[in-house]
Amino acid sequence: MTTSAEKLADLERRAELGGGEERLKRHRDAGKLTARERMEALFDPGTFEELDKLVTHRCLDFGMQDQLVPGDGVVSGHGKVDGRQVYAFAQDFTVFGGSLSETNAAKICKVMDMAMRMGAPIVGLNDSGGARIQEGVMSLGGYADIFLRNTLASGVVPQISAIMGPCAGGAVYSPAITDFNIMVKGTSYMFVTGPDVIRTVTHEDVTKEDLGGAMTHNERSGVAHFAVESDRECIALIRELLGFLPGNNLDDAPLVPTADPRDREDAALDALVPAAPYQPYDMLDLIHAIADDGYFLEVHRHYAPNLVVGFARMGGRSVGIVANQPAHLAGTLDIDASVKGARFVRFCDAFNIPLVTLEDVPGFLPGTVQEFGGIIRHGAKLLYAFAEATVPKVTVITRKAYGGAYCVMASKHIRTDFNYAWPTAEIAVMGPEGAVNILYRRDLDGAPDAAPRRAERTAEFREAFANPYVAASRGFIDEVIRPRQTRRKIISALDACSGKRASNPPKKHGNIPL
Amino acid sequence: MPHPLTKVLVANRGEIAVRIIRACREMNLRTVAVYSECDRTALHVRYADEAYAIGPNAPRESYLRIDKLIDVARRSGADAVHPGYGFLAENAGFARACRDAGVTFIGPSPESIDLMGSKTAARAEAIAAGVPVVPGTKEPLGPDVPDADVARIAEQVGYPILIKAVAGGGGKGMRTVTRADDLPGAVRAARSEALSSFGDPAIYVERRIARPRHIEIQLLGDQHGTVVPFVERECSIQRRHQKVVEESPSAVVTPALRRRMADAAAAVARRVGYHNAGTIEFLLDDSGEFFFLEMNTRLQVEHPITELVTATDLVHWQIRIARGERLDLDPERMLAPVGHAIECRIYAEDPDRDFLPSPGLVTALRAPAGPGIRRDDGGAVAGVVVPVFYDPLIAKLAAWAETRPMAIARMARALDEYDVRGIKTTIPFFRWLLADEAFLAGRIDTTFIDHALAARNGRPFLEVPEEAEHIAAVAAAVQAFTRQAAMAAPPAAPDSRWQRAARTEGLR
Repeated sequence: MTTSAEKLADLERRAELGGGEERLKRHRDAGKLTARERMEALFDPGTFEELDKLVTHRCLDFGMQDQLVPGDGVVSGHGKVDGRQVYAFAQDFTVFGGSLSETNAAKICKVMDMAMRMGAPIVGLNDSGGARIQEGVMSLGGYADIFLRNTLASGVVPQISAIMGPCAGGAVYSPAITDFNIMVKGTSYMFVTGPDVIRTVTHEDVTKEDLGGAMTHNERSGVAHFAVESDRECIALIRELLGFLPGNNLDDAPLVPTADPRDREDAALDALVPAAPYQPYDMLDLIHAIADDGYFLEVHRHYAPNLVVGFARMGGRSVGIVANQPAHLAGTLDIDASVKGARFVRFCDAFNIPLVTLEDVPGFLPGTVQEFGGIIRHGAKLLYAFAEATVPKVTVITRKAYGGAYCVMASKHIRTDFNYAWPTAEIAVMGPEGAVNILYRRDLDGAPDAAPRRAERTAEFREAFANPYVAASRGFIDEVIRPRQTRRKIISALDACSGKRASNPPKKHGNIPL
Repeated sequence: MPHPLTKVLVANRGEIAVRIIRACREMNLRTVAVYSECDRTALHVRYADEAYAIGPNAPRESYLRIDKLIDVARRSGADAVHPGYGFLAENAGFARACRDAGVTFIGPSPESIDLMGSKTAARAEAIAAGVPVVPGTKEPLGPDVPDADVARIAEQVGYPILIKAVAGGGGKGMRTVTRADDLPGAVRAARSEALSSFGDPAIYVERRIARPRHIEIQLLGDQHGTVVPFVERECSIQRRHQKVVEESPSAVVTPALRRRMADAAAAVARRVGYHNAGTIEFLLDDSGEFFFLEMNTRLQVEHPITELVTATDLVHWQIRIARGERLDLDPERMLAPVGHAIECRIYAEDPDRDFLPSPGLVTALRAPAGPGIRRDDGGAVAGVVVPVFYDPLIAKLAAWAETRPMAIARMARALDEYDVRGIKTTIPFFRWLLADEAFLAGRIDTTFIDHALAARNGRPFLEVPEEAEHIAAVAAAVQAFTRQAAMAAPPAAPDSRWQRAARTEGLR
């Protein structure tokens, strides 16, 4: 007869062994961390507290009754990340392929419920072959229970998903609802139907990697927000990301002291915008120049690079930056960029993270691909997101702010608190060339000296309207600032907004054009 | 016949453009600068009376575009062009285009540039002027010359030999051969490198002088036939055939040798009817024999040290000569140096990574000053980005003192004052060099750096003592602490009722 202490030690040992030495070794040999190692790495040393370590499944079919592993293929619990409370779960691929059972879903639901009660972020580390087929509909029910909680938690506590192995079929919809997806290159993939089914149905031949690998979802589908090289990098990124976020929708993100002076000026910014209006420059140079310590955590870096979004700190405060990128597609807004921006803006708004918009946008991307693809509907998402956002909003126009895109990009008219423009800003309905073509069409079409007259009219228009002063004279721009002062102007605007009280009319929810 | 000039287009950038603009201002001439995209706010643009954009950053599309430069000269009404050094300074086509446009080219005639720009033609002129040259071939060896002929010539010249590209420079297409067996391979390699670098596979062969010193004679010639040679400069401290330290006078050149070299240089210049500033380069072997190497038909990077020891202004004289004035310098005085001058070229290069260019943002900069220090720079200050597109020379630092040891000591002092952050520079390398025993004793030759680097065996030039690391860590910690204390209070008091209300109202 074993003593009770020995019995507990034995159960714990079995739980920690997961799918057994051999499977754990294979898992590690593939360059992956085990579920428990991932949890240990996620939390500050010695702070991880495991829950439901002894839970086992209840399946009595297919011989499953003889295969009981304490913990049942998922490690769940809570701990601290940089001293702040976080809840998390990690699927264990070595136990029944990480498949989702009724009980293992219940464990996940339990930590999600706790996170919601306590107002703390949830991190899900996914590595699962899918449903536990032996359990049939019980497993499906488990998925739906998780999806419901993902949905209810959305906008209440931040939810971060890491894909660190397979994630296929219905399982993808949990990460899909969460706020951020991180995929590990080479070892992770996500798809609703796999290559085999696709081959049968549409006769397309595609590998798992091409269909749903990390770069596919980072570059093409936009399903994933980050691609990382390894499990270690993945965990480090989650910790980094959490540092920019509050625990819930009532708190502020942590203030992080910095040695970077609030009033630091960067003379190089005065020459950032090139003399030629069609010449690109890298908006990231501006972001790095104004952020605390030059640090910027770019989100969705590989997707729709014509719009840059991500987190930085300014004067210690976490901010969400949304910036047109003139170095890609001239910084135009297209469908992908609009959707990317809209989702990011809404995330920041939901979690009290002020929005800093850096604008150089010549308009929406023209073309049948865009129009047939519904740029009207998708562009409206970005407009809707900026308009409904009640967090502090600061906009800096560096160069172009043309047409509808001017309205969309956090303009004064849609409740932006501070709108700044550089002297190089051109705030107009369109560029000088386009405007002259319309305004003087009758004069110029077919005229023998059309070219020099067009050039002259264009120069006149540029002088009169391609500047920030018309908008400033109407109060659409609060101040025309020198580029080098951008950092301190934004920080002082954010200070001025710190007590901001603004809300939307009571409603069940808005109807964003999805 | 003197003719007035009123406005000078400076067809260059960086420190030399600033140097020339300064000279023009001193002579009451208006100046026109040109700039590529990244140089829009550079110092030479600020100092000039007018400035014109000439295109994108790549030199090929801006500073090397003769058509754009001539167009700027025309639009700005400049009546003279100074090419500086590098870029188009030794391009006869540019000098000719200026002449065709009716603009005075402040430099030699296109014919002189053409003639002396060809190494073999220049060599022939030197021989004709009775000046010794390094034994070797006089005619270019084109691609059709068989290897057997090259081998025969090599035998005559005597091993060890150097194979060089006719159109070359900067060490490209250059090969040392010590044994006849290695010749065919070296010829093949030199030809292909010459073809890919200069578009011309022609080579020539000359004897390799063991451990030679590089001694050069600056000269000025006016348009009336007067040529004045100056005291020599020693430029033996070279890295990959690029000068990095120059001094004047040389530690080993006696007054008698100086006069012989000066006479030889002047003879070559007179023979080709050279006018404006030029430099004749010689190799000096350990027996005191010297050989004509080549002529540079322009102002040299290292011209300031000559100015320091002869109390002249070479750029002023370039302009005066271009105006047709007569050279009335005392030739004896130009050969009698006063004191000693030394120059270090401060490059944005990492001496610990094989002198790899290190362009980027200068985060802090404190430049040396004080007695006997002259600094020419292109405007590198904190906040300026050293562009990746051009020669990464950030400054020329020159020191003058009464004697060589004192000039070196003064330079060492200035280097200690020099503080550049953000980018790597060659300053640590110079600090080491100026403390080297062989250098201090004047025991140098053109292989000095190669041997020194080999002897150091990878030991870094920039060595940080452990104590300094500790002090820096403490300083950083103190700064972080005081900064933190000075940080603004959190946005609003955490118990602000207003904010609490705002948050709950915000929930729908």
